[in-house]
Amino acid sequence: MNLSRSTLYRSALLAGIFLASGAVSAAQAAKPKAQAAAGVKQDVPAAPKLYPPDLVRKGGALFRQDCSFCHGRDAGGGETGPDLTRSELVTHDVGGDKIGQVVRNGRPDKGMPRFDRSDEQIASLAAFIHTQQNRAQARGVGGRKGVDAADLQTGNAEAGKKYFEGAGGCASCHSPSGDLAGIASRLKGLMLEEQMLYPEHAKSKVAVTLASGQTITGTLAYLDEFTVGLVDSAGWYRSWGTSDVKFKIDAPANAHVELFPKYTDDDIHNLMAYLQTLR
Amino acid sequence: MNSRNAFLFGISVLLALASPGVLLAQGVDEQMLLHPPADSWPSYHGDYSGRRHSTLTQITPQNVKNLALAWAFQTEQTALIKSSPLLVDGIVYFTVPDNIWAVDARSGHQLWHYNAPTTQGEHIGNRGLAMYKGYLFFLAPNAHLVSLNAKDGSVRWKVQVADVTKGYWTSMAPLVVGKHVLIGVSGDFDNLSGYIRSIDRETGATQWQWDSTPPAGTPNQTTGGMTWMTGTYDPDLDLVYWGTGNPTPVLKGSTRPGDDPYTCSIVALNPNTGKLAWAFQVSPHDTHDWDAVETPVLVDADFHGEPKKMLMQSSRNGYFFVLDRTNGKSLLTVPYGPVNWSLGVDRQGRPIPNPAKEPAPDGRLIAPDEGGLTNYRSPSFDTKNGLFIVDAHPSWSIYFAKPADGVYGWSGADYDVWGKGVIDAIDYQTGKIRWSHELGPGGAGSGVLTTDSGLTFTGDAMGNFLALDSSNGKTLWHAGSGSSIVSSPTTYELDGRQYVLMSSGGVMFAWDLPERE
Repeated sequence: MNLSRSTLYRSALLAGIFLASGAVSAAQAAKPKAQAAAGVKQDVPAAPKLYPPDLVRKGGALFRQDCSFCHGRDAGGGETGPDLTRSELVTHDVGGDKIGQVVRNGRPDKGMPRFDRSDEQIASLAAFIHTQQNRAQARGVGGRKGVDAADLQTGNAEAGKKYFEGAGGCASCHSPSGDLAGIASRLKGLMLEEQMLYPEHAKSKVAVTLASGQTITGTLAYLDEFTVGLVDSAGWYRSWGTSDVKFKIDAPANAHVELFPKYTDDDIHNLMAYLQTLR
Repeated sequence: MNSRNAFLFGISVLLALASPGVLLAQGVDEQMLLHPPADSWPSYHGDYSGRRHSTLTQITPQNVKNLALAWAFQTEQTALIKSSPLLVDGIVYFTVPDNIWAVDARSGHQLWHYNAPTTQGEHIGNRGLAMYKGYLFFLAPNAHLVSLNAKDGSVRWKVQVADVTKGYWTSMAPLVVGKHVLIGVSGDFDNLSGYIRSIDRETGATQWQWDSTPPAGTPNQTTGGMTWMTGTYDPDLDLVYWGTGNPTPVLKGSTRPGDDPYTCSIVALNPNTGKLAWAFQVSPHDTHDWDAVETPVLVDADFHGEPKKMLMQSSRNGYFFVLDRTNGKSLLTVPYGPVNWSLGVDRQGRPIPNPAKEPAPDGRLIAPDEGGLTNYRSPSFDTKNGLFIVDAHPSWSIYFAKPADGVYGWSGADYDVWGKGVIDAIDYQTGKIRWSHELGPGGAGSGVLTTDSGLTFTGDAMGNFLALDSSNGKTLWHAGSGSSIVSSPTTYELDGRQYVLMSSGGVMFAWDLPERE
């Protein structure tokens, strides 16, 4: 990294501030005000000027080129890409250490390509994204696009419970005292709603029967028309040609897909209200 | 090029010149654009119809299993190839933002590489080139149209076609029609008017401009209607067909009441004047970012027993449209996947947006997602089977918008919840899906090419190139590519050999059948 020691120190300090504020959400709106009270003018970014303006400018230009289409020109979210000013990864990034990894590796599973960028370029991108995060925080709740936990409180928890136990069929797989106990403490706001609608990290099981008759079970790790892969109980990744074996997949998350055409928006809001009671 | 390569190149040029049927480079002329020979792919769609259906039959459902690599060309860039390569005079031309490669179509050998880094404008992708005579036309992210010498990639002229500082950029492949180079513009983060501009193919001078929407700041009127993608052309009717983008502000309709013409529309323009002949709006008052820039495919065939000049579009909003392209009247409007945002279809054949499905502060569940039931990747009309074949994306998402999000640019937020990729073969007379081929979770980015021999070339969500049987969707051939496939396949024949070009990541692959006796 080409950051000066003082920059690194200030980055660490910034990260500390953000860590202290935890996940960026409605509850943390007091932070920028405290900074304002400490003497920061309102007409400039309220957070301390942590990155050299030149670096931020360079990062901004690069961001505009490579990132803004998906993440928005202000890093506040755009076409398909998330709002980076609310990203926990950004919050915990120090001088590009985490942002750089994502930029260079991409997120193929989410459709983000990788970008071959130098250390200097990563540092400038990080400087720009952190500066945008500071600005967004300074604006406080509602001052930017995005979804606050407070926006998702329009449902009726009683109706949601009824839906959970009845029409939604949720109770056939989930239990408020079992897998969902304390869910509202672990996940909040949009994150909770997204997981509720489709738990994208839910694992599927697969049983593969080889030509020999031997059956191997594990967690489904890869599947296309031609290859099936699993991680077995010992932690090994194993794969076979789909035409060479028989296999059976148990994908409980598919029940969520079947619900999409059945939901009303009220069902979703009510269900959300109910899940938020499970603390 | 080192001296040895230069020597070999010289030799190969001599051999090429000596071989029968190969003439000196002529470039592209009007006849070639109107009737592309088998040894050419002279424009983005291959021909003016946008059908991406080839009459080549050497590669068949029976022998496609033998398809093998002829060559692969590494751009050595992380930018993904999203362009459709041109093929003219035995040379393949393709692009990523700021870059053009000219590659020998028989060997994959590089002739030249144009690299002009720009810092302004979104670098999200480049769809490719147009060509006339010995000159290429290329749009740079900074909204300049560059004309280059096809022989060496040197710049002939460069003109600004939009103001990048206002929020425009360019990414599409220009279209040459007569004396005109037609270009479209990109942008979504600012309340700006989209337009199609006609540029003199020789001088670079602007000939006319057609604006999709009124000037920014007009009260109660929309902005937007960006012209992201390459249109099509009917030389008999002398009409150019183009799709226009979504309105702005994107996810909020309060400042732009009504239908918001001509956003999310298919428009027919006179190529000599830019005058509007007709417009058909596929998404009145869009609030979901579903532009209508997907290829307006031109098909002449029977519709319910009557010969018709048709225009077909599998639109991002989830509906498949068949229009009479002489007058823009609807023949068929039907969803081709999950769609939950409309109250039905009006008497003109336009979906009626459900106000309850506009983005809201507490979220609305919407199908399809913002990427749409399809997107820029090209569909194909298989004239043999009468099937419109499209890489579809059944999907669900949640859309939010609240007063604090403002009324400029995006003005809301949306999140994909779930989606998958599937090739759908649509019966154009009924809209019924004749067959479907699953492509995998998330969604796939490859376009579609069909051939007269009954093959459908495309790619899946995991990076496998696929050749399917066009009559039933069964896989006949595949090859793992190792990266994302986000361009549309093309095909051509040289020296009696049929090649199929498909890109993955930053690599261009050419496939053909192994040498025969």
